[in-house]
Order: sequence, then C-alpha cells, then structure tokens
Amino acid sequence: MVDVNELQEKAREVLAGDDVRRLIGWKRGTYGYEAAPTVLKDVSEVDQLIFDATCVQNPASFITLEEKRPVPRGQEPDTRKIAVMVKGCDSRAVVQQLVEKAYDRDDVIVLGIPCRGVIDRRKAEKLFGESTEPVVASTNGDKVTVEVGGEKKEADRKDILMDKCMRCRYPNPLVSDFLLGEEVEKWADDEFGDVDEFEKMIPEDKWKFWDEQFSKCIRCYSCRNVCPMCYCVECVVTKTRPQWTRRSTDISENTVYHIQRAWHLAGRCIECMECQRVCPVDIPIMTLNRKLTRDVKEMFDFEPGVDVESEPLLACYRPNDPEEYIM
Amino acid sequence: MSEEFEPNIVAFLCNWCSYAGADLAGTSRTHYLPNVKIIRVMCSGRVNPLFLVNALQQGADGVLISGCHPGDCHYLEGNYYARRRFMLMHKLLEHVGVDPGRVNMSWVSASEGAKFADVVQESVDKAKAAGPMDQFRRRQINW
Repeated sequence: MVDVNELQEKAREVLAGDDVRRLIGWKRGTYGYEAAPTVLKDVSEVDQLIFDATCVQNPASFITLEEKRPVPRGQEPDTRKIAVMVKGCDSRAVVQQLVEKAYDRDDVIVLGIPCRGVIDRRKAEKLFGESTEPVVASTNGDKVTVEVGGEKKEADRKDILMDKCMRCRYPNPLVSDFLLGEEVEKWADDEFGDVDEFEKMIPEDKWKFWDEQFSKCIRCYSCRNVCPMCYCVECVVTKTRPQWTRRSTDISENTVYHIQRAWHLAGRCIECMECQRVCPVDIPIMTLNRKLTRDVKEMFDFEPGVDVESEPLLACYRPNDPEEYIM
Repeated sequence: MSEEFEPNIVAFLCNWCSYAGADLAGTSRTHYLPNVKIIRVMCSGRVNPLFLVNALQQGADGVLISGCHPGDCHYLEGNYYARRRFMLMHKLLEHVGVDPGRVNMSWVSASEGAKFADVVQESVDKAKAAGPMDQFRRRQINW
C-alpha cells in the first residue's frame, strides 16, 4: 500500500507545476465505508488526499466531465493538463478513453497506484453494521483491517472486498506517468464462473429474474452518470428526437433502458463495477456487462482497456468473425 | 381464439442484395409468408441494434436483418460491422431472457429469391415456437 506522505508529496509536486489545472483523487468521506472523490485546484488542498481500501470510486469518470465553454475573444483556451490518480481497474478506463480519443494522452497526467483491493460498502455493513463516522481500512495479506470509530476489526479478504477485486487481473495501473508505491502481485484470475452459472437458466427463468430486477429500476440514471465510459455529450436515453425510450418507469421502458445501457458498453466496459455500486435499488447491472465482456473475449478475442494502440471493437472487423446464428 | 398465432416479423433488408432478393422472390412468383413486414435500409450496417429492441417493444414478435453475403457488400464492409453488432445483440437479448429465435440475421443475395422465402419461413417458424412477444412490449394506454 502506498504511503500517504509519498502520495501527497507527489501530488504537491505535480499540482505545483505550471501545466496542471486540476488533480483528481480521493479524500476521507464524511461517514461510512467509502472515501470521497475530490478535485483539487490548489497545492494548499493536497493534505486531504488519501489512499486506502475505502477508495472505491473511479476518478477516471471525472476526467471527461470538464465543460469546454467557448472562450471570449482575445483569450486563449486553458490547455493545462488534468492529473488523475488511478487504481489498476481505473487505469483501464483511462486506456479505453484514450483508445476512443476522448482526449489526448498529453492532456492527462496519470498517477498510478497499485491496489490490493477495495472494500464493498454493502458487504461491510452486513459484517460490522452501518457507520456514522468515516472508516479507515487497510489490507494486509488475506485480511482486511477496518477501523470503525477507533475500534479495529478484521475480516477475511473474500468476505469484504468488492467482487471485482476477487477476480482482479490488473492490480497494477496499465498506464501511468508516475507510479506511487510498489507494484503488487496479481492474486486472482477471471474464469467468468458467475456468467456460466447464469447461462444455465432457461429463458423463462432468466426473464423472470430480469423482470423482477428491472421492475425495481427508478431510472435515476446513476449507473450512466457514474460510468467512466458514458461520456457522450448527448445521451441516447435523454434525447427526444428520435426517442428511443420513453421516460416512464414501466417494465417495457426499463428493460429497453438497461439493454441500451449494456449494449452501448459492449466491448467498452472495463468492469470497475461503479454502476452496480451506486445503484440505489441494488440491480445486479454487472451481470449484463459481464456477459458481454465474456462474449467479446470468446468471440472476438478482445479485451477493452488494455492496449492503448488497439482499435475500438465495433469500429473494426475481421473477415472470419464468428457467424453461427446467421442463416 | 381458435385461430393459430400468426407472428409479426419486421425485416430490415439491405437495398442492394436482400431487398432485390425479396423482389426476385416476388417477380418469380415464389410464395413466401405474409407475416414479414419489410423495411428497406441502404445497408445492413445501417441497422442500429436498437432498431431490433424498438421493434420488439412496439409489437414485433420477431425481427430479421438481412444483408449481402460477406465480401459482397455494396459499401465493401458494412455487413462485417453489422455481423459483429448482431452477434453481440443476439447474445445480450438471449441473456435478458428473450427467446433467441426471435432475433435472426441472414445473408441473401439479389439472385437468391428462393433462399429469401426459406429464411422468412424459418423466422416465422421460430417466432411461432416462441409464442407472442409479451415480455417487454410497450403497453398502449388509451387515455
């Protein structure tokens, strides 16, 4: 785990440079098991930066949020860079955004942090109850130490870490200008067992499952807003000409919304699990995304967010792509 | 309700091959089922997979995309892109619980009138087996 002093030292150094406009990182949350993402503009704010197992958020989501306002006559646009702190999984989002040319590599400074897993708020609350104070958590070996209100508690890694961490193949950042802390060893692999398990169901049961899940959806669009890959200026679900999906929250429109959301992430989802984490009604959104990730890997031998030089999946083709369902 | 269920199939045919193939089936008096409602598009690559979802939502029991054979596309590569998209959308809809028989794609060239009739027959048979599409059809409200 990276030392906080080292992290703040580097952040201070980066932010002090003339070419940096903002720095995105994490600070201690106000309560509960999650840190809070923060955007710093000045060196004096650097002291609040932290990194530990509570830093679940994906700062890559914020890079594309900057509004590019028209510049008044006679003024030059602000071309200074944005510095961003990323874990291994977050760095895949940066890679995928670079692949899609959301911004240039020169526009960002990436501070990579090797990560040993982050905790899942839902799991932690089940184990230790809700917390009204900010929690400090750290991983050591197979244990996770959680400090709730000055009281230290320990849990097994698999009981408290996010599901994505238990199948993390990229604990070290794939792209970084500065690496903070030492690289960690990969501890898990992804077999897509959960997808296989779901696939065993017959279509009627699958629909019964999704009928129940999609009926809960209140269409708050949190999953879209938090997604690092959902940075379209005009989103298909909010535009009215053509209107792809109506705004009513019935099963028909909810289903179509979720199919659209998953579809637009086909071959792009980097599995940071932010969508599922922020869902207020606990819809297992990643079940859809993981299915597509698995199929993309199987059919097209493609993995998003790994190689900056790769082409976006649906913007290229191979003449010998699979076509077993085509008559 | 003694009548047999007749599915609605919405077919997106590309202008250069499949639409001409359907035309050939017509002009050569080949019989094909009237369940299919044809929408002509310039290329199968024009078909946004959300068209399929939208069709299913608005009353189709099955959908069919048809384009030129790989390598024959009028725009050289449109059907290759369409193929990738279709394969993924097919899998996604199957995962959500939509019967895989409702979503079909075929390659029909301008000279394959008979094949077009077969493709329509097969799509209708599959949609019939799957029954009426009632999973996420849009409910029409008469105010």
